[in-house]
Amino acid sequence: MAEDLQHPDEADTQLLATLRSVVQRVDPVPAEVEEAARASYTWRTVDAELAELSYDSLLDDDRLAGVRGDGTARTLTFEGSAFSVEVEVSEDGDGRRLLGQIVPPSAATIEIRHSGGVLRVGADEVGRFSAGGVAAGPMSLRCQVEGADGPTLDTTWTTV
Amino acid sequence: MSPAEDGLLVRAAAEGDKAAWDALVKRFSGLVWSIARSHRLGPADAADVSQTAWLRLVENLGRIRDPDRVGAWLATTSRNECLRIIRRSGRQVPTDLDADADLEAEDALAVPVDAGLLAGERDAELWRAFSAISERCQGLLRLLITDPPPSYEEVGALLDMPVGSIGPTRARCLDHLRRKAGITGAAGGSQ
Repeated sequence: MAEDLQHPDEADTQLLATLRSVVQRVDPVPAEVEEAARASYTWRTVDAELAELSYDSLLDDDRLAGVRGDGTARTLTFEGSAFSVEVEVSEDGDGRRLLGQIVPPSAATIEIRHSGGVLRVGADEVGRFSAGGVAAGPMSLRCQVEGADGPTLDTTWTTV
Repeated sequence: MSPAEDGLLVRAAAEGDKAAWDALVKRFSGLVWSIARSHRLGPADAADVSQTAWLRLVENLGRIRDPDRVGAWLATTSRNECLRIIRRSGRQVPTDLDADADLEAEDALAVPVDAGLLAGERDAELWRAFSAISERCQGLLRLLITDPPPSYEEVGALLDMPVGSIGPTRARCLDHLRRKAGITGAAGGSQ
């Protein structure tokens, strides 16, 4: 590569051009990643309330836990207007186990959407639910409190 | 593609237009992937970042405050997921532009280099060197080499950098790259 000592900008431009062709050859976006991105559109909903992640122990600097291998579960809290969902995530082989709580406590149906598919579990009368075999990766819970027209929320997609 | 066009795509996708959604993916999937990889995430973790970022866009299509800036929204969302995944694995969170990796390119980013893929040892050396510069430099350079290249204004928005600092930082990062690759620099190197 001829470096042009008179014009550093020229050399920079050339280096960038070389870098571009190298990166495009070696590390393009994998086809399946782009396909998965397109396919995400099927999760589009217009009606359910979105519950944001109000707490993630992984980002809580005051906690020393939540790091893989130390045996402590990660906790997530999703806040909706009518209720909140707290979830403890622990490792379950290559996947994840969830231990959840509806707050305030209430029976509910829970749909766990994850990269392995969809799991349906029930939360008992004090709002507790659990599920194993959740794939590591993006996860969202659709929770509907029991009863006629029980409020529903979708938790924001989070990588577990 | 202008920000106004990006905004139109977001609004259309929010209304149920799948083709608009596919156009957004085509436009920004390289950006999301670059951000994940420049955080030294392996292909599986980078795929997780990408999937979560796009899913979060789907759930927020109707509520993004500034649809014209969806690129910056995706970049920020991707960066946040990268930090989560890094913490999840117990790695240190990267900080500083000037903190060159000074470590062997980790397995994660050391893409098995197929000798047939790279035109010669020079390119292989460049890829190894690139994998070893700081995350911030990788992020900036990967952004500058995307096709079509973003304007400095867009880069500033995407990376949360003052526009005026992009030129000098670009030069400094390229000098780091040259040093790592053993390329004799132009005009003595550092700014």
